Amino acid sequence: MGKLEKMKEEYDYIDVPEELGVRIQREIAKSLKQKSGKNGAARKNSLSKGIRIMVTAAAAVCIIFIVVLNTNPVFAKEAAVLPGIGNIARLFTFRSYETEMDGIGISVDVPFIDLPSVEMIAEDTGVVTGELNQEMYRLCGKYAENAALRAEEYRTAFLETGGTEEEWEAHNIRITVSYEIKQQNDTYLSFIIRGTDNWANVYQDTKYYNLNVSTGKTVTLEDLLGSGFRELVNESIREQISEREMAGEVFWETDKGGFAGISEDVNFYINESNHPVIVFEKYEIAPGSSGEIEFEIVNR
Amino acid sequence: MRQILYEKLVRYIVENQDRFYRMAYSYTGNKEDALDAVQNAVCKALEAYESIKNADAVRTWFYRILTNECFAIIKKRNKIVLFDDYGGQAEVYCEQAYGQGEDIRKELNKLEPDTRAIIILRYFEELSLKEVSGIMNLNLSTVKTKLYRGLKTLRENIQEAALWEN
Repeated sequence: MGKLEKMKEEYDYIDVPEELGVRIQREIAKSLKQKSGKNGAARKNSLSKGIRIMVTAAAAVCIIFIVVLNTNPVFAKEAAVLPGIGNIARLFTFRSYETEMDGIGISVDVPFIDLPSVEMIAEDTGVVTGELNQEMYRLCGKYAENAALRAEEYRTAFLETGGTEEEWEAHNIRITVSYEIKQQNDTYLSFIIRGTDNWANVYQDTKYYNLNVSTGKTVTLEDLLGSGFRELVNESIREQISEREMAGEVFWETDKGGFAGISEDVNFYINESNHPVIVFEKYEIAPGSSGEIEFEIVNR
Repeated sequence: MRQILYEKLVRYIVENQDRFYRMAYSYTGNKEDALDAVQNAVCKALEAYESIKNADAVRTWFYRILTNECFAIIKKRNKIVLFDDYGGQAEVYCEQAYGQGEDIRKELNKLEPDTRAIIILRYFEELSLKEVSGIMNLNLSTVKTKLYRGLKTLRENIQEAALWEN
């Protein structure tokens, strides 16, 4: 039976294309959606239960239910009837989940934007916060998924190089996706979504969202500071850098990777005084020890 | 109860997808067909999960769907004679450049489709003969006969192949 064993071995080594997982997830998502449409009153419960099971089944699957939730009107409706605070834009945790696998903890809070005034005018302007919400789901899910893969790789390497399960547990690996509200009033909604792996500083992802509450559109620096925003921002940042250097802070020189003017897609949020705050990532214009560097821009 | 069954099935599918693919791949002989077969099987299984009579039999039940999908895809390709009026050598479409599992396929292609399925399920997926008989909808003694005949064919061919190598 030697030949059969050899065949079996060859069989076990057949490569499985990544596409397989994607296709299967698509089918599961489709089926969950159909199911929730069919089961009437029981659907909310059963769906969320189904989802929970799937999360524990495999962290990599988390992206599925993100899509499901998005395409599920029940959840959207449920979210909309949460106690309102008038016409002010709301940002709340739409979905929060935690899971642990192989000593890797994952916690994800997915935010959901609700702009009551925009829903009314959405049809006229074509602005749909739904798309943004959908994008945020994808983003959060994707980060958690990738982070889980990274941590799994790390775990494999750790165990292969002689580490024990107990030592691995002690690493207390945590993957977190969360959001931070910077400004939430009747004009602006500004917040940041952050994904972090606690074991590797390199892995961090931040995404900035600034919205005009009455139109639902993204607020740009130009909207806030006028057409001369670029010069204004650059000048203000240079001034602040020299002030801060006097106070002892270290920035890289311009020709050595330091600040050389803002780019098109510079990150910023809107603070409680409705001023834009430009944020540079760690290492972007200064040594990593300075962390993220912020400059509030005041239009005088 | 129904819900528990559904969850069980989803979990089973997610955890065993690689096995399904390998089975479909060694059966259909190429990546695209294998992917289609697994996807169709998953789709059908999730639609029809309520028809599972025994929650412990999810595995047998799913393999039956998958095996049928593989048969269906091969039939659709028209590269194989229907196995009722099976007469000669079964020709399965193979990607020449795709070297993986080439030997297995060469060997397996010498078998009748249902015998091929029986060998894959019994020896590669390591299912019991009883499970195989459930999946194939054949009674146990038929499965045994076909398996025995299949092994004989393989071994004869294996010996021939060994002679060629020398």
